Amino acid sequence: MAVDPLTLVAVTAVYLLMVIGLGYIGYKKTKEHDDYLVAGRKIHPVVLALSYGATFISTSAIVGFGGYAAYLGMGVIWLTVLNVGIGILLAFVIFGKKTREIGHRLGAVTFPDLMGKQYSSRFIQSASSVIIIIGMPLYTAAILIGGARFIETTLNVPYDSALIGFAAIVAAYVILGGLIAVMYTDALQGGIMLVGMTLLLLLTYIHLGGVVEAHTALQALSDQIPASLAAGGHTGWASMPAFASPIWLTLITSIVLGVGIGVLAQPQLIVRFMTVANTKAIHRAVAVGGPFILMMTGVAFTVGALTNVYFIKTQGQLALTAAGGNIDSIIPAYINASMPDLFVIIFMLALLAAAMSTLSSLFHTMGTAVGYDLWTVIRQERCSMRVTQIGTVVMIIASVIVAYGLPGSIIARATVMFMGLCASAFLPAYIHALYSTRPSTRAAIISLVVGAAVWFIWTAFVHLAESKPLGLSGLLFGADAVLGMPWQVVDPLVIALPLSFVALAGVLLWERIAGKSGDVPA
Amino acid sequence: MVKKLNTARCFLMFGITDIQIVIGYLLAIGFALACIVYGYVNWHNGGEDHGS
Repeated sequence: MAVDPLTLVAVTAVYLLMVIGLGYIGYKKTKEHDDYLVAGRKIHPVVLALSYGATFISTSAIVGFGGYAAYLGMGVIWLTVLNVGIGILLAFVIFGKKTREIGHRLGAVTFPDLMGKQYSSRFIQSASSVIIIIGMPLYTAAILIGGARFIETTLNVPYDSALIGFAAIVAAYVILGGLIAVMYTDALQGGIMLVGMTLLLLLTYIHLGGVVEAHTALQALSDQIPASLAAGGHTGWASMPAFASPIWLTLITSIVLGVGIGVLAQPQLIVRFMTVANTKAIHRAVAVGGPFILMMTGVAFTVGALTNVYFIKTQGQLALTAAGGNIDSIIPAYINASMPDLFVIIFMLALLAAAMSTLSSLFHTMGTAVGYDLWTVIRQERCSMRVTQIGTVVMIIASVIVAYGLPGSIIARATVMFMGLCASAFLPAYIHALYSTRPSTRAAIISLVVGAAVWFIWTAFVHLAESKPLGLSGLLFGADAVLGMPWQVVDPLVIALPLSFVALAGVLLWERIAGKSGDVPA
Repeated sequence: MVKKLNTARCFLMFGITDIQIVIGYLLAIGFALACIVYGYVNWHNGGEDHGS
């Protein structure tokens, strides 16, 4: 890239110093275990909103899904609709306020702890933490890979050193400063991301001759759709794919619904509702969070699609081809090729910030799942902060190991998988926990088990994007997927989540008819 | 006349003519505005609640 390496290193160093400074403040403010786990329940609403948003929006949303917008077109904007409408408005107003209230009342400090206490069930607490421990390293590893690849290409650091160094820096402030350090650094990183994405949108439209001109040029590219994409239902980059075509099904079920609904049951986001002192903070955070998420995902998806106009104009080829066939490389390739040096630095910082903010939250959530939830269940005693810190170290090491085993173009896919798993397993039981006066433990357990099991079966044996690389279906049945089209492109969430709801409702109905209590032994 | 109408239509939708995409953008912006309005209207509500 053309940017002066010395300037880039200097700016990155200043940014890292600021992160370390905030991490140190978090460390100094962390006196008790509750400070480490729920930031002392005293977080400012703006910090809550930016931290929630920055954790929500990882490199995945900007680079991964921005790349998908370059590949599939502006239809990905429907994910922004769900991100803002469900991910912020519904999540904060319907779920956030109740979660905070119940979390405070029960003294819950993590998502599994909240579920376990509300249902008075150690099984639910341990099962929730096990799902986090098994599923979250995949998502974490994808974020790590994205960050390490970015550091490798921009700072010319060898990949292995970049991966280890990146994980180590984030690990340092998560382990020492707990959730206060995580949320303070998230807020800084969210601010950088907002600046970066705003500039990206403005410069892209300036570059392409204006808003109407850019969109008109994008529409005009519909005669350049590759035959394979056209056969799959692609109709152009400024229009939706053909209804019910394989590309439409992938876009709607995996990307829009998978992530749009999946966000409601993300343990690392839910815990943030328990970090504020009152409902007023949640109300105020909504006003900041909505526009923030619009600017993050809306810009990424719009610019992603428009990269095709830029690459056709300058190189005579579509964005995916210009990026060497790797969806995850489209946005970085566009930035490097089209933007002024100063902006390249700002945007690279924004990407680094996006990766670090999500990574720190995932490290913290995985660490508390091992070092608090599992420990509490196994030892049947409240653990110390040191145990939680050791749990965090263990999960960070596990995530780094997983990162070495994942293939390319994985960022968006791993995000969809983790969000799908969380929604399928947790969402019905989480809603029931929040809104039932006497939540049924039996119904919650069955819903959780059905959601997780169906999600896994569909992932391993039907959904081709995962069943083929996993190889279980091929090994047991001699075929990459046991069902044909269109089921092979229907996301596991679309099947598993409704079944999880049906299981919950079915058990509740049975309990009512049979006059049974929903209580089961803890 | 038809050309004028088409130009106006393109301009109104910022050059995007697929109604599904246009609705997507309008809803995304609308929800973000709803968040601002909700936060503003409830800015002082809920301060007394400490959840215990």
